Amino acid sequence: MHWSAWTARLALVSAFAIASPSAAQSPPAGVNPTGAAVLAFQKRVADYVKVHRQADGKVPSLAETNDPAKISEREVALGEAIRALRSGAQPGDVFCEEVRPVLIKVIHDDFAKRSAMDRKALVQELPAKMALTVNMTYPSKLPLATVPAKLLRALPDLPPELEYRIVGRSLLLRDVKANIVVDFVRDAVPTIPS
Amino acid sequence: MSMHPLHLLSWARTWALAGAFALALAPVPAPGSQPAAATRRPAVGAPGASGETQPSRSKDSVRFAVIGDSGTGGQSQYDVGARLAGSLQAFPFEFVLMLGDNIYGSERPQDFALKFEKPYAEILARKIPFYASLGNHDDPNQRFYQPFNMNGKRFYSFTKKGARFFALDSNYMDKDQQDWLARELEGSHDRWKIAFFHHPLYSSGARHGSEVDLRDIVEPLFQKYRVGVVFAGHEHFYERLKPQHGIHYFTSGGAAKLRAGNIRPGPLTAKGFDSDYSYMLVEIDGEQMHFQTLSRRGQLVDSGTITPEAVNSSSQPGGAEP
Repeated sequence: MHWSAWTARLALVSAFAIASPSAAQSPPAGVNPTGAAVLAFQKRVADYVKVHRQADGKVPSLAETNDPAKISEREVALGEAIRALRSGAQPGDVFCEEVRPVLIKVIHDDFAKRSAMDRKALVQELPAKMALTVNMTYPSKLPLATVPAKLLRALPDLPPELEYRIVGRSLLLRDVKANIVVDFVRDAVPTIPS
Repeated sequence: MSMHPLHLLSWARTWALAGAFALALAPVPAPGSQPAAATRRPAVGAPGASGETQPSRSKDSVRFAVIGDSGTGGQSQYDVGARLAGSLQAFPFEFVLMLGDNIYGSERPQDFALKFEKPYAEILARKIPFYASLGNHDDPNQRFYQPFNMNGKRFYSFTKKGARFFALDSNYMDKDQQDWLARELEGSHDRWKIAFFHHPLYSSGARHGSEVDLRDIVEPLFQKYRVGVVFAGHEHFYERLKPQHGIHYFTSGGAAKLRAGNIRPGPLTAKGFDSDYSYMLVEIDGEQMHFQTLSRRGQLVDSGTITPEAVNSSSQPGGAEP
């Protein structure tokens, strides 16, 4: 079942589970802990989107242009505005503690279903390891490795402001318009024997 | 030196296979195309010459060029760009499809000049529009670059005289895009439906190969809504696949990068070319689509005609699917 539908059905029974972090970490009996974790993640994503939109309102709007300088200037300005609004952001702020094992399991399960050749081809496509920090600009010289369509389908939905990407063995949450790393989970991708 | 008969047999088989593959990759026209000899002129190295470009057949047709993996800013991109502009003389194409990796590496303002505006200056000067799709080396914010005509969208569609084109973002086939694609395809009643994007659903490339994940998601939609032709890049060579489930797949990712000798002999390939850079010219003339593939040196690499009978015909079984 798709995450969005799945979590929607859980929403009623687990709404109170995300009222506080401690409640989310230990959902009451009868509440699916995975669903609660995904709901907690989606709430943090929604909080981030509020920050993004607030920052977006502070920089000139971006329309199509013949001048690529305007595109890059706008990207940089949006990134700076977001950084200013979440200057104290730490790893795990969005990829919260509850959801990290869920996401890792989704990725491991996906890789387990793939042939050795497919896994190798996939890993070969990934950009080399890089030092990750929250709020950093995603290096424009690195490719944005394709997130396999079936894996994308298995991961929780994201709003258009955000996307998943994989670098090395880390799962990234990237702000599409600002080109910044919002959060990451290290060692999310299984090791592939060479 | 003597050779055991069994070794001799094995050796002969190896060479026979190699010879057959070499023939498959040789630049001869495909069935249904004009004989190369009829239009052949000496290959000319000077930029701007049209080489062996076959002329367009009708003034009322839809004529377009296809380039993939083009944005290096290197000499090969400029060579292909000049050759492409040279083809305009014989084949006045009206627009250009870009199959992704439009700007490799850094994407500073000067990179857009070096890796797009200058190599295609002559084409841009003639107000011929480019329609881009995103590759894995492209910042999605390229969609705001007006000369790419993406209207600020990662995926979009447009119509030219009864032919509908669907540009997809194959790097990130999320639910939104899948839903959009299904809606757009369902709502299109155009005679020709053509999809273009970066990752090939079928490929004989040793480097990447077929994008099976993506294929499992989008090909059922292509079949259901009768997409006839698909163009992809990513693999740095040219390959025309044998029709799969009635869909004609082309990989044309050699407009600036080349992975020489990367096509593995296999059952998917109808035609392969991996010894030089290449681009395509396509003409939709009513019920027929004519295509030709040219090398950086202006050599005709492949050509042919796709007819409606060949589009989405259930009588055409798919080939082997790696």
